[in-house]
Amino acid sequence: MTTAPGISIRDLTVAYGAFRAIEELTVEVPAGRIVGVVGPNGAGKTTLLNAITGFTHVSGGSIHLDEVAVQDWTVRRRVAAGVVRGFQTVRLMERESVMTNVLVGLERTRQPFVLAQLFGLPSQPRSRRRDLDAANAVITRLGLADVVHQRVDALPFASRRLVEVARVLVSRPSVVLLDEPAAGLDQAGRHELAAVLTQVHAEDGCTMVVVEHDVDLVQRLCQHALALDSGHLISEGPPADVFATPEVQVAYFGRSLDAQA
Amino acid sequence: MTSTSLPVTAQAAPPDVAAVPAAAEKPARSRRQTLVVVVGLLAAIAVPALTFPAFWLFLAAQVAAYAIATLGLNVLYGRTGQLSLAQATFMGAGAYTGYVLGSQGQAPLVQLLAVVAVSLVVGAVVAVPTLRLSGLRLALVTLAVGELFAWVLVHTSPLTGGSQGANVEPLVIGPLDASVPLFAYLLGLLPALLATALVLHLDRTQLGRRMLLVRDSELAARATGVPIIQTKIVSFLLASVFAGIAGWLYGGINGFVSPPDFNLFASVYLLVAVVIGGARSVLGAWVGAAYIVVLPQVFTALGIPNLYALVGGALLALVALLAPDGLVGLARSAVGRRRRTA
Repeated sequence: MTTAPGISIRDLTVAYGAFRAIEELTVEVPAGRIVGVVGPNGAGKTTLLNAITGFTHVSGGSIHLDEVAVQDWTVRRRVAAGVVRGFQTVRLMERESVMTNVLVGLERTRQPFVLAQLFGLPSQPRSRRRDLDAANAVITRLGLADVVHQRVDALPFASRRLVEVARVLVSRPSVVLLDEPAAGLDQAGRHELAAVLTQVHAEDGCTMVVVEHDVDLVQRLCQHALALDSGHLISEGPPADVFATPEVQVAYFGRSLDAQA
Repeated sequence: MTSTSLPVTAQAAPPDVAAVPAAAEKPARSRRQTLVVVVGLLAAIAVPALTFPAFWLFLAAQVAAYAIATLGLNVLYGRTGQLSLAQATFMGAGAYTGYVLGSQGQAPLVQLLAVVAVSLVVGAVVAVPTLRLSGLRLALVTLAVGELFAWVLVHTSPLTGGSQGANVEPLVIGPLDASVPLFAYLLGLLPALLATALVLHLDRTQLGRRMLLVRDSELAARATGVPIIQTKIVSFLLASVFAGIAGWLYGGINGFVSPPDFNLFASVYLLVAVVIGGARSVLGAWVGAAYIVVLPQVFTALGIPNLYALVGGALLALVALLAPDGLVGLARSAVGRRRRTA
């Protein structure tokens, strides 16, 4: 089993000019858990994900995987260490097949040197077989086996979303970060996604961070939730408790919930 | 698939976990499809060799030579998404390297090695400063390189023949003498088939997939850990080496090289040809090469040589609007539709 690291965020500040998207945030993502990051638009959820993956600079504070400080690492180094993310907007090779789109996600596993690949040196067939099997396994697991050879631009949105998740998962990363994976999915699609992610997590034992708006999905999927508002942590704990705190209700739902309740 | 006449969708078989098909990069071809491809390929190779008159056989040889250059552009533009207007320049670098060494009596192998070396240097010189550019700005830089090359040729006329061009000794490799039409054809075809195999092989490698991801989303490429800069450099080098070899063969087959063969217009035509054929398609690269070499001859034979540029522009506009995957993509989807309805 992979030993998934926990993520410690200490006094993290991410500033864009005078605007502080995240301000002196200190929070723990427990190892091997599925953690939901919730909060209204502009709360700093995606910024937090960008900071963990190296897609944004860090103005202050530190990010640790277990005890290793990674805030100065390049994106590639973090990916190699097993930190792999998805995007809020699906970013696929639209005119390529599902298989190609998933295979490319194996980049961080050991690949033969460029010249060895180019001229098909003897090391290639074995690594190719291994890669195809890995891709096939995740494709089957996500229910994409029937469309494995289809171009992704011919697929419905829900499937394309799954293709992106497959590309993230295929290399069995130890830290998986997903940015609103359920956006644009209908109720059935969300339940299916939650089931698949729960299963993957149970089998791979990774640490999973899921930025998500959908209350139902977070409660269904996540074992732990962090609520952000304006770059600050306002609540953390079991998802049901987090959603029950008054600060989260005000920040997240406005006052409309009081009226309903 | 069995030959049962029952509608397949009417009673879907229960999902059988044990029957998960073996992982494959592409759907398996039926034996009939493989046969069609092999027979078609052999016919495409044999028919010109056996039936074409000398002039057309020379043209076929040039198509093969140009196909190496368009295959290079397939890699650089079609797969990696880097817009280059220097492909004809790379061809020129190869052609003139071959010419200069050939006129000094150097053996073909020496010429080839020098062509590859020069292409790698020229490719690197163009690639490295352009790594942070893309799209039109990249195209502009590659265009400047082309202009620089033309300037160098004109100002080194004792060596290169300048703007007058130069007569190139026919390429002779072993028994294959490019002044004999059939041998010229083989001299173009064999390297072109090798180049084709190499580009087809890219589809089976992570290198090939890196290129596609760099083309479609650099953000996703970063998130996946793809070495973006390395991938772009490799693409540029492949494109320039392919083009250099293409130019070298073209010179040795055509017997004459001159600056207009390798100027900005030549580069634009190469790019247009690749887009019309289908930028990411290997077959499209061949269609593009045929388009570049054969169409001008057809219009010249009809007495309306100026129509080439006009038709090229119109065809490009049509393809860009109606067939984003080029003529090959258009044909493929038409065949696919017929299969589905049949």
